[in-house]
Amino acid sequence: MLLRRYAARMNRFLQFLGNVTWLRILLVMVLTTVATAIVKPYFMHDVSFSYLWGRLFIVGAVMLSAFIVGNVVHAQASAKRFTLLQIQFVALVSGAMLGTVISGLAIGRSLNQMVTNEAIFWGMVIFIAVGVSLGVIAATVLVYREQAARAAADASKADAERHELEKQVLEARLKLMQAQIEPHFLFNTLANVQHLVEANPPLAAKTLESLITYLRAALPEMREGRTKLGREVDMANAYLEIQQTRMGDRLHFLIDVPLQLRTATFPPMMLLTLVENAIKHGIDPMQQGGEIQVRAVVNDGMLDVSVADSGQGLSPTAGVGIGLQNIRERLQALFGKTAKLILEENTPRGMVARIRISHDINER
Amino acid sequence: MNDDMHTALIADDEPLLRDQLKARLNKLWPELSLTGLAVNGAEALSLFEELEPDIVFLDIHMPVMTGLETARLIGRGRSKRTHIVFVTAYDEYAVEAFERGAIDYVLKPFNEARLMETITRVKERLDSRRDPERADDAEATLEIVLRQLSNRLELPVDQHLRWIKASVGQTVRLIPIEEVVYFQSDEKYTRVALEDSEVLIRKPIKELLEELDPRQFWQIHRATIVNTRAIAGVVRGPRDQADLKLKGRPETLTVSRNFTSLFKQM
Repeated sequence: MLLRRYAARMNRFLQFLGNVTWLRILLVMVLTTVATAIVKPYFMHDVSFSYLWGRLFIVGAVMLSAFIVGNVVHAQASAKRFTLLQIQFVALVSGAMLGTVISGLAIGRSLNQMVTNEAIFWGMVIFIAVGVSLGVIAATVLVYREQAARAAADASKADAERHELEKQVLEARLKLMQAQIEPHFLFNTLANVQHLVEANPPLAAKTLESLITYLRAALPEMREGRTKLGREVDMANAYLEIQQTRMGDRLHFLIDVPLQLRTATFPPMMLLTLVENAIKHGIDPMQQGGEIQVRAVVNDGMLDVSVADSGQGLSPTAGVGIGLQNIRERLQALFGKTAKLILEENTPRGMVARIRISHDINER
Repeated sequence: MNDDMHTALIADDEPLLRDQLKARLNKLWPELSLTGLAVNGAEALSLFEELEPDIVFLDIHMPVMTGLETARLIGRGRSKRTHIVFVTAYDEYAVEAFERGAIDYVLKPFNEARLMETITRVKERLDSRRDPERADDAEATLEIVLRQLSNRLELPVDQHLRWIKASVGQTVRLIPIEEVVYFQSDEKYTRVALEDSEVLIRKPIKELLEELDPRQFWQIHRATIVNTRAIAGVVRGPRDQADLKLKGRPETLTVSRNFTSLFKQM
């Protein structure tokens, strides 16, 4: 306990020392020289330049200390009752006074002498006046430098944040471009087509058509950040038709997207990921299967595209892979905080995944 | 019973692929009598017990119970030796393991020449049942391969809470645990703070502590659990306490004395 308090004090002292830089000491020395040159003519009896310099340096050193203590106190204070500038000004004035008194004591004058001897008193007033005015100039320089440094730091931080965001967008696009097609899905579909060619040629042709539509969209290719909702719905429809051929009675689906919303701007591959998830985590694990409904509506200026399934729903400990996480990151990168991926429980069972992005009417 | 007359069961969840395998087998192995068609692993198991076929064609990926699980259960409960042929569309681990263990499998889409090879080999193995030693060897290999595969397929299950279910208006919202900034007990509810909103759940802090991943969520106060990824900084406060600054939320959280050691300097 005692040790910790000691450590805290030590810490404050080190912080103080850390602020006493060579540059600052040099600055005080230069200003002391200037002050000596200003003050010297006012002294009637002859004093040497170095003697006066020494006395003024004591004032300068005390002022620098007061200034730094002021800064440290302000930084550590929990309740900021005074602004930093107020504290710095008070520190400079009191530092100049204290420094003058100390430099007087240093040459053997008593406190009594300082207030009673008129010549000494006015000498001290000159000391303090010169000290405060030079101190203010020095402090202004320091504060200005500090502000410039802080502005530079802020700028580089903003720069770093921008780079980070750019990196995230790039990563998200990269993930998108990686092959999305599961070989398992592809080979099973082909096996179905192989059988249908003999057993039901028209259905074989239709399934192949759906597979081509799906592959065209799902194969990695350089795709722009946004596409039209209609195209994404067609792709989801192709995928669902293939799955229906494969699963037979176990899958039913319904797509309800108004014609006028097909031209709405929508990011690529997101709807398909939601539909794939609904099959994989919702319908496929159920012995009796279920139904998937894809809908798009506009309310309050937001385009709301949802995929609802009547599958087994999500258990609180179930992980659904990187698909949803990827959608979240891409939505954030493309639209910021206004875009959302919302997951809800469906009634009586299953779940609803919903993408909400702002619907720009002008784009229609 | 005629030695050439064997019975078989097919299990596949895709109706067209069941029909396809059945048609191919009828063509390439007309003497084989297909006695059962199952739509998933569980049904395959009950049909197996009822029909006791000589051969079972098992699709690996099936709902309710996978082909691998079904094969293990068949291996345990059977009274007579049954030969298992796995059917799969794509599964590099499984195929590799089958190759190594000389276990029979067929790939979808079917290649007739390849299917014929498998049929020839299965016929040989059915004959070798008269040689009990060789048959025992084959079964031991199957058991080992299945065990390896199920270790591989049954990924280590993370039992920690991944979603928070909270009522928002008329619906139950599923909120991924990563989006939670902190949990704070609030009389009889627990307040869940997200970046841009808050929801209430009934699960108390004490229960949450047991279910959350301790690597991601830290208790910092009797009433508060924070997502470590949402911590922006720590400021030392009065009386050995500390204040946590958060990403995405303006307020600070108090770290009580008992938990400040979590934030000791490294």
